[in-house]
Amino acid sequence: MPSWFKKVFTGGAGKAVPEQEEPLSSDVSIVDAPSQESPALGQPDTSDYEQPKAREVVYAPVIMSEDEQSAYSEEVRVKARVEGDYQSCVFMVDRPLLKGSSVWLPGTEWAKDVSPLAEALFAIEGVGTVLIHDFTVTLTLTQENRRSWEEIMKGVGAAIRAHLKSDDPVVSQEFLDALPPEDEIRSRVSKVIEMEINPGIASHSGVVTLERVDGNSVYITMGGGCQGCAASAITLRQGIHTAFRKSVPELGAIYDETDHTAGTNPYFSELPAGMA
Amino acid sequence: MPRLNTFTLEIKTGENAGPERPQYSINSFPLDFDESQGSAAPGAVLKVTGTPQSFPHTLLLIGPSEGCWDIESVHATYDCADEDPYTIHLGAVSLDDNSDLNIWYERPATAFDV
Repeated sequence: MPSWFKKVFTGGAGKAVPEQEEPLSSDVSIVDAPSQESPALGQPDTSDYEQPKAREVVYAPVIMSEDEQSAYSEEVRVKARVEGDYQSCVFMVDRPLLKGSSVWLPGTEWAKDVSPLAEALFAIEGVGTVLIHDFTVTLTLTQENRRSWEEIMKGVGAAIRAHLKSDDPVVSQEFLDALPPEDEIRSRVSKVIEMEINPGIASHSGVVTLERVDGNSVYITMGGGCQGCAASAITLRQGIHTAFRKSVPELGAIYDETDHTAGTNPYFSELPAGMA
Repeated sequence: MPRLNTFTLEIKTGENAGPERPQYSINSFPLDFDESQGSAAPGAVLKVTGTPQSFPHTLLLIGPSEGCWDIESVHATYDCADEDPYTIHLGAVSLDDNSDLNIWYERPATAFDV
């Protein structure tokens, strides 16, 4: 379950993230001529500097206001939240939809015989992809769509409620039985990262790490030049998602667990060696 | 990222007292709070206001220079340019001479009942 979901329905848990060490000052002493003891020309002399002590940034749990808290009731409660870039909308349901596995479907023809809930959602005009995992349904819109999320939300909520009142499964047992084991998914995803993604983003000093696999859901972090980068969302959506799904079509949810605000200077990180 | 004009923290201290004059840092620059009321004594509430007038890539409440500061709760109110103020409620946390508290939270995304 992604951390933001916990914040909305259960409140976040406190965590401590090690702070990156402060970068060394870039002050350079002007010298007449480099000597053997002096650093190479253009390199700062750091011999007199004391390494700053790395500090820890602590995160306190965020407490929900009362109106955000969801009480269990007979009526299924669904909350919708449009993601920051307006590309997707997450529908959070107050009871589990699909535990242990996830399913991502790129169109109505893929949903047939796999997920009756997804079929109902694709029947709503404008819905492009459906991801079902845990307590959430995440939708994106088709490129041709002209409707806003506000116009679509109510229909999605109604479809989820109607499905949960029926006896139909969220995802067919045949689909779940055919999913490869975690070890196989881990191996195949690792290979994509190693062979395709990391070589591709190496020129930006970026690196993607597979943190864990849970069922057919994967959790990654983006490091180096990708951490805190303003283009990381596009890299994730257009590069990483596409490569993963092409090579491992059974994959469900792909979560980026990177704290893009961490570090002393996340949006203006140090230049790679040799460019300073 | 919005420009943060001012922010106010209402910090309720738990068992262990905090520093008399806590500081905050914005984008790694330590600063004093502009206004301060109350204290960080055990059980007391300290209300402080900062006026960074800047874009907070990081905004931290700096931990005590020695000892441990038990914080029971923090109510943080942010006044950003061209937006209405908003408040975030934080729960219990402890700071020591090696830790700072993250106090920057963007306005929570609105979730609609549908």
